[in-house]
Amino acid sequence: MDKANTPIVKRSLFSWVFADNIKLQILLVFIIIFTVFARVLPLEMQKRIVNEAIKLRKIDLLLLYCGVYLAAVVAASGLKYLINIIQTLISQRATAGMRKELYHHILTLPLTFFRRTQPGTVVNALVSELAIPGNFVGMAVAVPLTNVLTLLAFAAYLFWLNSFLAAVSLSIYPLVLFLVPLLQKRVNRLNRKRVDTSRELSSRIAESITGIHEIQGNGAYGIETRRFNGLVDKLYKIRLVWQLYRFGIKTANNFFTSLGPFLVFILGGYLAIKGRLELGALVAFLSAQEKLYNPWKELIEFYQVYQDGSVSYKRTMQYFDTISEYALEPVGREPYELDGSLEIKHVSYVTDDGIKLLDDINLSLNPGEHLALVGFSGSGKSTLALCIGQLYNYTEGNLLLGSKEVSELSKKDLVYNLGFVSQSPFIFDGTLKDNLLYSCLAKINGAGTDEKDALPTLDDMIEVLQQAGIFVDVLRFGLNTVLMHDQHGDLIAMIIRMRDNFQRDFGAELADYVEFFNEDKYLYHSSVVENLTFGAPNLESFADHNLPENKYFLDFLKEADLTRPLLGLGAELSKQTVDILGNLPPDEIFFEQSPIAPDELNAYKELVERLKKNKLHQLSDDDRKKLLKQALRFTPGKHKMVGLPPMLEQLILEGRALFKENISIDYPDAVSFYDISHYIFSETILNNIFFGKTKTTNPQIQEKINQSIIQLLIAEDLLETIVEIGMHFQVGTRGGKLSGGQRQKLAIARAFLKSPKIMIMDEATSALDNKSQARIQNLLDLRWKGRNTLIAVVHRLDIIKNFDKIAVMKAGQIAEMGTYDELIDRKGMLHELVHGKK
Amino acid sequence: MNSYTEKNEACQSCEFDDNLRILRETRFFSGLSLEALKVLAYLCTRETFKQDDYLFSQDDDDGRAFYFVSGKAKLVHRHDSGEMDIRNFEKGDFLGGLALMGPLHRLFSLKALTDTTCIILTRDKFTKVMEQFPEQMPKVLKSLIESLWIWEKHFLSDPDKCCETCLYKIGVSLV
Repeated sequence: MDKANTPIVKRSLFSWVFADNIKLQILLVFIIIFTVFARVLPLEMQKRIVNEAIKLRKIDLLLLYCGVYLAAVVAASGLKYLINIIQTLISQRATAGMRKELYHHILTLPLTFFRRTQPGTVVNALVSELAIPGNFVGMAVAVPLTNVLTLLAFAAYLFWLNSFLAAVSLSIYPLVLFLVPLLQKRVNRLNRKRVDTSRELSSRIAESITGIHEIQGNGAYGIETRRFNGLVDKLYKIRLVWQLYRFGIKTANNFFTSLGPFLVFILGGYLAIKGRLELGALVAFLSAQEKLYNPWKELIEFYQVYQDGSVSYKRTMQYFDTISEYALEPVGREPYELDGSLEIKHVSYVTDDGIKLLDDINLSLNPGEHLALVGFSGSGKSTLALCIGQLYNYTEGNLLLGSKEVSELSKKDLVYNLGFVSQSPFIFDGTLKDNLLYSCLAKINGAGTDEKDALPTLDDMIEVLQQAGIFVDVLRFGLNTVLMHDQHGDLIAMIIRMRDNFQRDFGAELADYVEFFNEDKYLYHSSVVENLTFGAPNLESFADHNLPENKYFLDFLKEADLTRPLLGLGAELSKQTVDILGNLPPDEIFFEQSPIAPDELNAYKELVERLKKNKLHQLSDDDRKKLLKQALRFTPGKHKMVGLPPMLEQLILEGRALFKENISIDYPDAVSFYDISHYIFSETILNNIFFGKTKTTNPQIQEKINQSIIQLLIAEDLLETIVEIGMHFQVGTRGGKLSGGQRQKLAIARAFLKSPKIMIMDEATSALDNKSQARIQNLLDLRWKGRNTLIAVVHRLDIIKNFDKIAVMKAGQIAEMGTYDELIDRKGMLHELVHGKK
Repeated sequence: MNSYTEKNEACQSCEFDDNLRILRETRFFSGLSLEALKVLAYLCTRETFKQDDYLFSQDDDDGRAFYFVSGKAKLVHRHDSGEMDIRNFEKGDFLGGLALMGPLHRLFSLKALTDTTCIILTRDKFTKVMEQFPEQMPKVLKSLIESLWIWEKHFLSDPDKCCETCLYKIGVSLV
């Protein structure tokens, strides 16, 4: 079978041995033949040195044979190293190849497969289980060939020396050959169990990590630990017995092979004493006999790797041996350009368990028409949408998109024509821009065109961000970016210029919400250290996190009479924070208002215990540094568990003046003081425009601030630049740094950017506020209707009035269908859903 | 001994202590354990709204509860034919407990009549804390049910002042 067309799960382990490696394997064969020759040669030299050079007392012969001996040994070592290099290359290549192909295969498997498969299983298969078969592939030619040839060469040499002795000493090996496979059978059985149990264990870990909130929420630590421990114990037993059998094989092999020299000594010794064997020949025989041991051992090890590798490989491939329900690529044609019509005739969908989720669905849509699917949860509306999108495979009837049967379309046809926004869209780790371009890139990559030429322009991206209502969020991400020293020189100059305009136009209006940097006032929304230095550090030793270690700074604190009050503040902060957060999990929501980071909590718990028993001056230097660290971080506007004593506030203000005075003389370059004519590199773009910090996280006030800033940015022609910077915002794993609404908006923007002929939205606006939802609906009505077909699963019924058709679903069937007004007039199910039951 | 059973000395006018006292005196939270209340008090924030600012707007799902520290705000309901003033909230009032429990689109708007400062707790924070103290949830539910019951009892205590249509629709405690 052609390798390219054989799915990986059907490929044999041996197919990897020569695939893409033929040249390397042939090279290996040649090197091995040389190596074997180089290995046998020293034996012959050994014999000649004893029998000819030493016996005949010829120095020149001794030098010659020793020279040949040395050359052979050097050559054998060098070649062996070369063999190892090639072997490793082949095995790593094979492992990587297996991983890539299997991953690609897994991605195409039907959704039903993933309902019964835990992510951990996939991770385990791809990361751990394929390493052993890969290892085997590397060894498959080199090891057996080298060792069998070496064995044969040594055996032949032994027979040539003395056939009787050779026959006796080799008689042990058939016994080993009989015994090893017997033991290996047991090893294989245990290995199969090991693969299955490892897979189970990986699944369990993945499941508990994914559901960690539920576990912690229910305090179900005991239940989960018991389940996990049970599996670990099971795996422990299997692995223990498995390893014992593996060592059993090795030990049996070692034992029998070491019987060889014994037989040679006793028989060879006897023959030599009787003068029927030359001493040189006996020495050579003993050496050769000993050299049999290594290749034999390697062969047995190879046999074990082969067995383990093929068990892992087969077990893994069997597990994923499901074929995608659809072709990935169209065969013998370009992808279709569908016209956007939808025709559903007698479609039903029955699950593997025999549950009928869709029952005889009939409907049709013209290109550009909009259909809303409504009904209670479980009525089948999402299932129908997923069947149209080829994510579920309907089991009966005909479902035609652009007159083509959906089940016969390739995935690529759908990539070209269909967009899908799900209720909880998946956002991948990376930048916001990566996620925005996700659908477009999939389409571009499929077409094989140059990525750069086909990518949407910045204007296109900004347009969809506005349409989806996430533009202001992205702008905000941009404004919250901290710029690097050597980036955006022009922008920095413009931001400094903007400060005046901001103060003039909005200073008074926003004064309540922004704390402006003022050298004579305490900044309640900045940390103690920022209040003291009143500037941004330029030297690493003056960075905030290094100051508690900086001797110059510590001396300054002493001079300013701040050491003791700050230690007291640090102690109080630590006590209160540990008291409130001591038993909580490391969730961001709990720690965003805390000066102690989640990973520091345990250290501070211990420190608080020590504080109970000791006075401040009795603490170790390390503990005092920890307390100082907390005090320097303390930001009264954010950390509300303690207040800032007025006395300390005054001391810090005085300290600020002293620090400026001292450091301007001692280290004039260490800190850039906040200065209205300089950019502050430790602060965000927004704070630089303000020349201050926002005091509030209130969304309405943020909105007010946004409006002012947008006006300013438009006036300076900087809006696009800042949005572009915002698009580089890292969204976190699964988009964790975005809100639910932002994730949905981003997914909608992603679909809008692709502008597919047919769009499926499965409760795609459910997490949005009314205004955003209405705006998106408005856009769909005005810009999409008549051009792009829309199938929307809708939960909130206030947005469906303008849809061309509404299908009300109940128990897998369409209960009624028509326009909004028709259905309301009919006073049937939709009327009941909208107005409630009379 | 717990450090919060006594006055926190390092914190002469610290928000946390005030928040904790207020939560303990608010019916919605009153049944909660001190440990849970401390976390909630710590997570509360203070916001100041200027006159005419909206604390929340009709149809929004802002998911926040408010306690009025100072100032005054007006609750209004917008309908097809105009706007209707409902009543005012002022210093010492608490509202929005139900919005902490789950998604809820506001049926009213709340507009500041004077500059107003509120202690605010969000649904995200409340939910996270309740996940940590699952055994406390029944207590919150209990005070919620009690509030509903008191509300309706109060409503029924003077039925003559209600219009006929309103009377026909009452019975929220039967939900």
